[in-house]
Amino acid sequence: MTAAAPEPKANMGQPVPRYDAAAKVTGRATYASDMPLDNPAYAFLVTSAIAKGRIDSFDLDDARGVRGVIDIVTHENAPKLKESKLFSNGGYAGTTIQPLKSADIAHDGQIIAVVVAESYEAAREAANRVKVSYTAVAPSASFDSPGTTTAAAKGQNAQFKEDPEVGDFAKAFDKAEVKLTASYDTPTQHHNPMELFTTSCAWMGDNLVIYEGSQYVYGLKNGVAEQLGIDPDKIRVVNPYVGGGFGSRGSMTPRTAIIAGIAKRLNRPIKLVPTRDQGFTIATYRAETRHEIRLGASRDGKLVALRHEGAEVSSRPDAYCVGGTKTTTRLYACPNVDSLVSIVRADRNTPGFMRSPPEVPYLFALESAMDELAVKLNMDPVELRRINDTTNEPIGGKPYTSRSLMACFDEAAKAFGWSQRSPQPKSMSDGDWLVGYGCAATCYPTQMAPSAARVRLQRDGRTRVEIAGHEIGTGAYTIIAQTAAERLGVPLEKVAVLVGDSELPPAPVAGGSNSTASTCSAVMMVCDQIRQRLFKALMPSDSLTDKAKETVGISQAPSTQVAKSDRPLDLEKAFDELGAGVVEEYGEWKPEGAPLDSFKAMHSGHARLVGGHAMKDKIAYAFGAEFVEVRVNRFTHEIRAPRLVGAFAAGRIMNPRTARSQLMGGLIWGMSSALLEATEIDQRNARYVNDNLADYLVPVNADVPGVEVILLSEQDDHINPAGAKGLGELANVGTNAAICNAIYHATGQRIRKLPVRLENIEV
Amino acid sequence: MSDKSSSRPSGFDRRTFIAGAAGSALVPITARAAAQDASASGAKDAALPVDVTLRVNGKDMRLHIDARTTVLDALREHLRLTGSKKGCDHGQCGACTVLIDDRRVVSCLTLALAAEGQEITTIEGLATDDHLHPMQQAFIDNDAFQCGYCTPGQIVSAVACVKEGHAGSEADIREYMSGNICRCAAYPNIVAAVKQAAPEIMKG
Repeated sequence: MTAAAPEPKANMGQPVPRYDAAAKVTGRATYASDMPLDNPAYAFLVTSAIAKGRIDSFDLDDARGVRGVIDIVTHENAPKLKESKLFSNGGYAGTTIQPLKSADIAHDGQIIAVVVAESYEAAREAANRVKVSYTAVAPSASFDSPGTTTAAAKGQNAQFKEDPEVGDFAKAFDKAEVKLTASYDTPTQHHNPMELFTTSCAWMGDNLVIYEGSQYVYGLKNGVAEQLGIDPDKIRVVNPYVGGGFGSRGSMTPRTAIIAGIAKRLNRPIKLVPTRDQGFTIATYRAETRHEIRLGASRDGKLVALRHEGAEVSSRPDAYCVGGTKTTTRLYACPNVDSLVSIVRADRNTPGFMRSPPEVPYLFALESAMDELAVKLNMDPVELRRINDTTNEPIGGKPYTSRSLMACFDEAAKAFGWSQRSPQPKSMSDGDWLVGYGCAATCYPTQMAPSAARVRLQRDGRTRVEIAGHEIGTGAYTIIAQTAAERLGVPLEKVAVLVGDSELPPAPVAGGSNSTASTCSAVMMVCDQIRQRLFKALMPSDSLTDKAKETVGISQAPSTQVAKSDRPLDLEKAFDELGAGVVEEYGEWKPEGAPLDSFKAMHSGHARLVGGHAMKDKIAYAFGAEFVEVRVNRFTHEIRAPRLVGAFAAGRIMNPRTARSQLMGGLIWGMSSALLEATEIDQRNARYVNDNLADYLVPVNADVPGVEVILLSEQDDHINPAGAKGLGELANVGTNAAICNAIYHATGQRIRKLPVRLENIEV
Repeated sequence: MSDKSSSRPSGFDRRTFIAGAAGSALVPITARAAAQDASASGAKDAALPVDVTLRVNGKDMRLHIDARTTVLDALREHLRLTGSKKGCDHGQCGACTVLIDDRRVVSCLTLALAAEGQEITTIEGLATDDHLHPMQQAFIDNDAFQCGYCTPGQIVSAVACVKEGHAGSEADIREYMSGNICRCAAYPNIVAAVKQAAPEIMKG
C-alpha cells in the first residue's frame, strides 16, 4: 500500500482508487470547455479599465473591421436580462452588479462588451480593438480609502444573524489577571482554480444546454432561467468534471446569462473562454479582513474574557460577509464573550466564499492570539488549549456532538516531535537557519443540506446512482459509488455513478463541506428503499418487523452499525420473487432540523444548509491540530516550511485515500495562504495588480517538501446517517496561525499580517 | 522569406503574420502602423486561414486555421484533442504541456505553424492500446491528482522529467516538476508517482 492509501482505522471505508482516475490520467475526462459544439462562435470579453464612473461612448469601427467578427455586444444592444438577488438574500447570484445593463461602472474589470467572432483569434483581436471613452470617478479601493462606508453586518446580511455574546466581557476583561489585545490582518485572495471561468451555451429550439464548471448545477440552472425569464426545465447544466472550485463556482456569475442571451440571438452555440486575469474580476474572491482580539485569562491559563471584532470589505451594492465570530466565540470555554462584525463598502467586485470562508481569516486571528497568550503565561501552547478545551460551546451551552480536538493535538504533537521544542524564541537553529516550531487548532462546522438520489439495481448486481452532485476533485464519484456498493452489498466495480448534470435528482451546492454528508445520506436512504422492496418480495408477510429492519438497514442509523447487521441479499431470488429485472428507486433526504420548505428549495436551486452552531440542541464541528516547522534564514530572511503535520478527526472517513489527499491539499493551501498568496490592490485605481499565475503566488512542487496527514478514528451518531463530517475545508484553517506562531518561535518576531514574506522579517 | 520562396508547406509568411497579429494584446501600439502598411502594399492578409499539417500522436492532421492559432487551440478547438488544458494561456501554469520532438513545451505559447514537421505527443498519445503508460498508472496508484485539470500537463511533463534524467531524487523531481501548477496541491503524491514510474520508463 502506498502512502496515498492509508490503512483504514475504525469507522473508515476502504482507500479504493478514484472512480474517475483512468479518465483523468488519459485526458478523457471532459471539463466544460472540452465539450464538443456544433459550429460554435467564439466570445471574448472586454472589461472595464476604470473602477468607478461611466462609459461615455464606444468606438467599434476598428473592431468591426476585423475579419470574422459576427457581433459586438455592449450595454447599448445587450440582451435584456432580469436581475437575480444575491444568494444570501434568496437569489442565485454571487453579485448583483449586472454588467451590460447600463453605462455605469461599479468595479475595475467589469464586463463592458462581448465580441463574438468565427474564431477565438479573431474575437481576441477585435476585443483588443474596442475603444472606450470613460468619465472616471476616484474609486474607494479598500479599508483606508476615503469614501468607504462602514456598518455592522447584523441587519444588512440575512445570513449573518447574530454577533454572539455571553456574560459580561467588559467587566471580566477589566479584572483579568493576564490580558492580551492584538490586531490581525488578512489579505485579498483569489481562488484561481486551474480551469478558467469558461461558459458554452447551445440552444436547441427553446431548450438551452450550458457547459460550465459549477459547484451548483441546480442553482445555475434556476438562476439563469430567472435571468432569461424562461422555465428552468428548459435549461440543462452539464459538467461531469470541474477543474477545481474552492468556492469560486458556487454562485452564479453574470457571464452565463449574457452568453446564453447572445447565443439565442445569434442562433448559434457560443463558447466563452475568459482569460486568467479576467477571472479576477468576473467571479468572486476572498476579501481582505481586519481583526481585534482581546483575551483575558487567569494566571493558570483559564480564559475569563474573549472579544473578537472583525471587519470585512464588500462591494457597494452587496453586503457579503463571512462572519467567522460564530466559530471563534464558541471554540474554547470562556464565560464572558463579546463580538462584532462590520462590513466596509468599497468600489470592488462582490467577494464570495473561498475555501473555509469564515474560518481562515477569523481563526488566524484567534489562534495567533492564543499563542501570544501562551507566551504571556509562559505556558506550552498545547497545554493552553487543553486547559480551555470544552465539551459545550460557551454561547448557548450546547454540547458538541463529538470533539476530538485534544486527541488531534496529542497525535500530531507526537508525530511532529513537539517534545523536542525548546520553548524560548530564537533558541533553535541549524547553520544559517533559525528554526521554529508552531501549532494551532483547526476546525470546520459540520453541515448538511437536503439531497435527492435515484438508484437503479439490476438482477446481475449492476447498479447506477444518479445524483446532481459535483466532482470538483473531492472524490464525489468515488465515495458515492462506495456508499451504494456497501449499502446494496454489490461489488464496487458494478456501480456506475452519474453527477454534474442538472437533469439528475437535485443535490446541494458543493460548498460548506456538506456534499459527502448530504449526498451519501441520500444515496444510503434510496439504497435502503431498494433493499426494502427486495426484502418485501422475499418475505411478504414479514415486512418491516424488527427482523426486517435488521436485514434492510435503518436509514437514520450510522453506516457502521448497519454494516454490522447486514446480511447479503440473494439478488437473483429477490428479483424472481419480485418478477422484475430492474428495481429503481428515487428518494429525497433531508437532515434533522431542515426548514419546512427544504425540498421545494432543493428543486429550485436554493441550498438550505443546516448544522454547525445553528443546530437546535447541539453543535457539530470537525477538529484538527496542525504543527509546523519553519526555517528563517538569518541573512536573507527567506522563509521555508519544510514540515507540515496535521491530525484530523471528522466522523466517518468514507475513503482514507481521497480524505488524506484533500487534507494534504488543505495543509498546503494553508501554507500558501500564510507565506505566498495575496492579491495586491492598486489603491489609487482600485485595481488588482498581480492578476496572473506568475505574480499571484501559489505553491509549486518545490515549495512543498514534507506534509504528513494523520486521520483519527472518530464515530459520531448525532450528525447524519452517513456519520460524516465535512473535511474539504478543515485543513487550510489553522495553518496560517501555526506558521506565524512558528515564525515567532524561530525569530522572536510576532507577525500579525498575512502573508508573511521575507521583507516582513526583521531578525 | 516571401510567400513564394517559403519552405513551409503552409506558404506562411512570417513578416505579414507579425503585421497581422498587431491587434493582439502583446504587440506594441507602434506595430499598428505596420499593419496598415502591410495591407496597403497588398501583402497576404494575415487574418486569412492558412493550411497547416501537424503530426500529432503519430498521425498527420491537416488543418485550415488562423495563422495565430497556438498548438493548444489547434489541438482543442480544431482536432478535438481536449486532454491538453488551458489554464492561463501565458505559459505560467503548465496545464497545456505537450511533447514536441520529445521536449516538453507549453503548447499555449507555441504557434501551430511553428510546430509543423515536428512530432507532437499529447496525453492522448501516451497509452498504447488498452495499456496505460507507467506514469499514468503511477498517478493513479499514488492519487496524484484531485480535480484532474492539471493532470494531463503534469503527466506529460513527468514523462519528460524522467527522460531528461531529472528524477534521480525527490528534491530533483520537486524542482523539475515546478513548471506545472496543481491548485489542489497534490504535489507530494506527484513526487511519489514520478519516483514510482521512473525506473520502468528508464528501462524503456
